[in-house]
Formats: sequence, C-alpha cells, structure tokens
Amino acid sequence: MKDIIRVKSLLSTDIETLLNQQIKKEAHSSAIYLSMASWCNRNGFDYSSDYFFKQAEEERAHQLKIYKYVLDMGGNSISPDINNIKLEYNSFREVFEDALDQEISVTQSLKNIAARCHKEQDYVTLEFLNWFFKEQREEEYKARRALELFEVIGEEGTGRWQIDKHVGQIVYNSEA
Amino acid sequence: MQETLTLPSINFTEVFSTKNGAIYQSDSENCWYIDFAGKLARFDYRNLLKLKKAVYQIDIEDLLLNSEKSADLEIIFICACDHCYVLSLLQIIKMKELLKGTFAMLELNHIIYDRLHRLAF
Ligand SMILES: [Fe+2]
Repeated sequence: MKDIIRVKSLLSTDIETLLNQQIKKEAHSSAIYLSMASWCNRNGFDYSSDYFFKQAEEERAHQLKIYKYVLDMGGNSISPDINNIKLEYNSFREVFEDALDQEISVTQSLKNIAARCHKEQDYVTLEFLNWFFKEQREEEYKARRALELFEVIGEEGTGRWQIDKHVGQIVYNSEA
Repeated sequence: MQETLTLPSINFTEVFSTKNGAIYQSDSENCWYIDFAGKLARFDYRNLLKLKKAVYQIDIEDLLLNSEKSADLEIIFICACDHCYVLSLLQIIKMKELLKGTFAMLELNHIIYDRLHRLAF
C-alpha cells in the first residue's frame, strides 16, 4: 500500500499543528506591538512608537515565513483569528515589561516545536527553525536592553523622555 | 491491510474496518473509498483530511449533555467535496472510531514504508 500522505506532505500532523499555532503566535505578537505603538504615540513617546511599529512589521514577516513554509511542504496554513489585544497600559515601563514577556513566550514556543522535531527526527523543519532561534536572540536582547534603560537612566525628571530617545537607538549586532 | 478487494480495473486495499464500516485505499487513484452509512464515497487526500477535521471537531460530550438541541443529527459538509454525511450521534461516534483506526493504520504504513523502502542499505 502506498504511503500517500507522506507523498503529499513532508510535515506530520503534529508538526503542522504546532507550526500553525506559531503562525498565530507571531500574528498575535504583531498585533500586540501595533497596540503598543498606538499607546506610545498617544502618550508622547514617539521614538518608542516607531520602534514598536517596526517590531510589528517584523512579527508579521515571521508569520508569513512560517505560513509559506507550511504551504511549500505540502501542508495547510491557517490564517489566524486574533483577538483580546491589550489596548491600555498603566505605565511606559509596563509596555516594555510586556514586550519582553511576549518575546520570552515566543522563544519558549519555538523551543517546544524544536523538541517535537527532534522526537520525530524532522530535521528539515528543525533547520528551518534555526533562523527563528537566531532571531529570538536579537528580539530578547532588544527587549531586555529597553527595560534596562529604565534602570540606568531612571524615570525621574526628564528620564522617560531620555529613555524614549534611546529606545530608537537599540541595535543588536553580534556576528556570532 | 493484507486483504485486497478487486473490482474491475480498480484495486482497493482495506486500511481499516469496524462492524459499521470500512475504509479502502486505491493506490492507482491515490485516494480512499469510505464505506459508511450505506454508501461508498471517494475521498482524495485533501478531502480525507477535511473529513477528519470535521468529524474530530464535533464535541460529542456537548451533544450528549445538551438537551436543548432538538435533532440529534449532525451534517458533515465538506467544502469542494461531492459527499456530505447526515449522521446521528451514534453514527458520529462510529465514524470517529473508523477514522481513528484508519489514521493509525496509515501512520503505521508510513513507518513500515520508511523502514523498508526509504532507508538505503
Ligand atoms: Fe517573531
């Protein structure tokens, strides 16, 4: 008897489901960053607003990358439903705390997919995921650095204004 | 998986069967035939997966507990597929059993295929 399902698709049902969950997660991240961009803009933090607009676009690109991979491998990509996006934040700092939390949870869910790939010996998807792991290094670094600015600059006086100015300058350029 | 049923020019291999139905695979047509609820229906790869999704998504427990629902019938309609099923709760349970067994056998076939034919010696 032919192995028709394998001929049609490289991805197992479980990996495909996990990748679709990740697509949703990236879309969710993008929507959260967009919401943060709005809040920052409304509250006078223009540099941070720009920073989050850029982050939102990056997350969208991540979403599409996985979306296309699933299709290219013969699977079914599912356009996700996104809801429950936080619209208001209690403080400027809370925005960045949430941003770091979001990135940590993205890293964790990518690790979970990789663990499943190891179990199934799906080295093709594992190799695909490597790009994302490298990306997460940068994402976590930037989010952590932004939060660090609150410590080193301090929020008193014109602190928040200074922090906002520096957020736009955060770069990660490790060649490793 | 051994039994082979021969109809004029088409070869079916039984993938899985229960008291209530059976699913056959046709290697020459790359598709499956489902013998269930009094009819034999042809499903290609995409439609078989859509059927699986549709049946697995039905919340059987909810149907059992929900007394508000007047009819105990569920319509399983699959987009871009010629067949649709109108099933009672009991039939849904039986269909699910048939599909679960089928996908387990297909997975097993995949493992056997990998071991026997896809590894270089
Ligand atoms: Fe991302």
